[in-house]
Amino acid sequence: MSAAAAALRRLSFSREIVLLGVLIVLVIVMSLLSPLFFTVGNLLNTSRFFVEVGLMALGMTLIIITGGIDLSVGSNLGLSSVAIGFSFAAGLPLPFAIVLGLGVGTAAGLFNGLFITLLNLHPLVVTLGTFALFQGLAYGATGAEAVSDFPDWFAYFGQAYFLNVVPGQLFIFIVAVAVVWLILSRTRFGRYVYAIGNNEEAARFSGVPIRKVKVAIYSGIGLLVGMAAVIYTSRVYTARGDSGLGLELDVISAVVLGGASIYGGSGTIAGTVLGVLIIATLRNGLTLAGVPSTWQLFVLGVLLLVAVFLNEFFRRREE
Amino acid sequence: MTEARAPAEQRGTSPRDAFRRFMVRPESPALVFLALLVVAFSLSSDKFLSGSNFESIVISVAVLGIIALAVNQVVLCGEIDISTGSMMGLCAVAAGAVALSTGGLVLPLLAGIAVGAFCGAINGALVTAGRIPSIIVTLGMLYALRGVILLVTGGTWITGVPEEARVLGTGTVLGVGYPVIILFVLFLVMELVSRHSTWGRNVFAVGGNRRAARLAGLPIDRTRFLAFVLVGMFVGIASIIYLGRAGSVQTNTGTGLELQVVAAVVIGGTSISGGRGSSLAALTGAVLIGVILNGLILLGVPGIWQQGVLGALILLAVATDVLRRRLVGDKT
Repeated sequence: MSAAAAALRRLSFSREIVLLGVLIVLVIVMSLLSPLFFTVGNLLNTSRFFVEVGLMALGMTLIIITGGIDLSVGSNLGLSSVAIGFSFAAGLPLPFAIVLGLGVGTAAGLFNGLFITLLNLHPLVVTLGTFALFQGLAYGATGAEAVSDFPDWFAYFGQAYFLNVVPGQLFIFIVAVAVVWLILSRTRFGRYVYAIGNNEEAARFSGVPIRKVKVAIYSGIGLLVGMAAVIYTSRVYTARGDSGLGLELDVISAVVLGGASIYGGSGTIAGTVLGVLIIATLRNGLTLAGVPSTWQLFVLGVLLLVAVFLNEFFRRREE
Repeated sequence: MTEARAPAEQRGTSPRDAFRRFMVRPESPALVFLALLVVAFSLSSDKFLSGSNFESIVISVAVLGIIALAVNQVVLCGEIDISTGSMMGLCAVAAGAVALSTGGLVLPLLAGIAVGAFCGAINGALVTAGRIPSIIVTLGMLYALRGVILLVTGGTWITGVPEEARVLGTGTVLGVGYPVIILFVLFLVMELVSRHSTWGRNVFAVGGNRRAARLAGLPIDRTRFLAFVLVGMFVGIASIIYLGRAGSVQTNTGTGLELQVVAAVVIGGTSISGGRGSSLAALTGAVLIGVILNGLILLGVPGIWQQGVLGALILLAVATDVLRRRLVGDKT
């Protein structure tokens, strides 16, 4: 083995450092591509867009660590968003409408979790089904229409600035990161999550309450989707059934890029946060460079493939 | 994980045994459901049971059914392919472009099949040699191929496809539309392949119990690779039918088709965990989706509910499959 390969191999052990390097290189490249990129205003503005993906990616990290997947997060965001908008339009006071949106998101996640655990089905097929179901409900129940006359204070969640520069939702994200990180790395529940992903059978025989843990994490991502829906609806000031369409690709890409193995058992919150930052930088930079959004999907799709390939490649090298 | 076939020696003659034997078949719930729906829709609308309506249903699901027959093999292998929507769009773009420049039917068809097979080979290589889970590979390809469509077309539509290239979508033989004939011919071919070819048998073995298949020395990677290539080729054939029926290709052609295809396969009764199912299941699932969408239109349900109905059907199908297996005492 050459010295370069050996160095590469040593580096792969500290994936977060590699990711940090990728992020820095990306920021430099994007700054060269567009003079607008490396400005305080733009960098902070970028955080407006990644908070929604980031919140969902936190939940997705736990799900992917258990060896599962949730393809329904984008549709769930649309469903939660119209739950807020249309219940408000129907006369429900906005604070209650927001709580209802969080509730709908959580209930949708709970539905996924119960369906998966009670019938012992693969999360892939269940969430593929609910991907269509949630989106269909969001469309059908609203007649594919939109609500966009919210009171001014609703903008606080998605458009407010703290000290005139820091977007408000950044604080929500930081708190959520801290909470999920604590749960995953400092609690028994977090150990259960890793145990299920490493060897579900062994975890069962060790007395891990697998069903409860799974129902909890799928409900948990539902709640995070609900929070993302509140921020999204507030940011775009519109509730529509097709909100969040295709976001599952960003979310899964971020988590996988962050080093979580799609086969379960490994993954960290720090990695996921870096993955989210890399994808947000890429998207923002490509937008500033004038690349159309459909091309960004192409880049994301290829990025997802490359990330998983490198992940599994290094994992096999380590073994 | 075990291969679950009905024990051949359990042959009773009582109705209970007959029922049990019927319920062991994976496509049984879908067939029963299809029969019930046909009766229900016939009673509620006298237009439903006419021969022309039924033919139009089958024509409308021909593209879906053909792709489902191939994806069925991928699912039987224990893998999944959700890239077919974008792949169909790309194949239709290729076939349409060739039809515009050369005319004829054979060259556009070959172009569609070749592009499809190439995309399928990429999927297959990434899954087998790259060791990336098929859901991630095909999710990535779903978006990547849509980007390729935009690159190739520059965002413009392909219109004015000449008549002779549209024959497979619009033409008839002895009064039966080409899409129906192609669908049933491919169905028969896949049934024969499943029953009588080595590859067809290997597909069941690889999906039923991969470790046992490996220990038995079966070519696991080659079997899965060929299944993905088959999807590409069938998508290519389906794209010509689409091109014939639509006469034009848009940049968003095929969007959402991948979901309907997977829905057809699992609704028909092929197990998503692999190794259990049949081509009849995929065909039944596709026709069932066609009957339901057609029935919804006849009943006056707005089109925006289609997606929701499809999702509910997938969930209903997988739940029924679990209950059916518990009913017949299959412990997998």
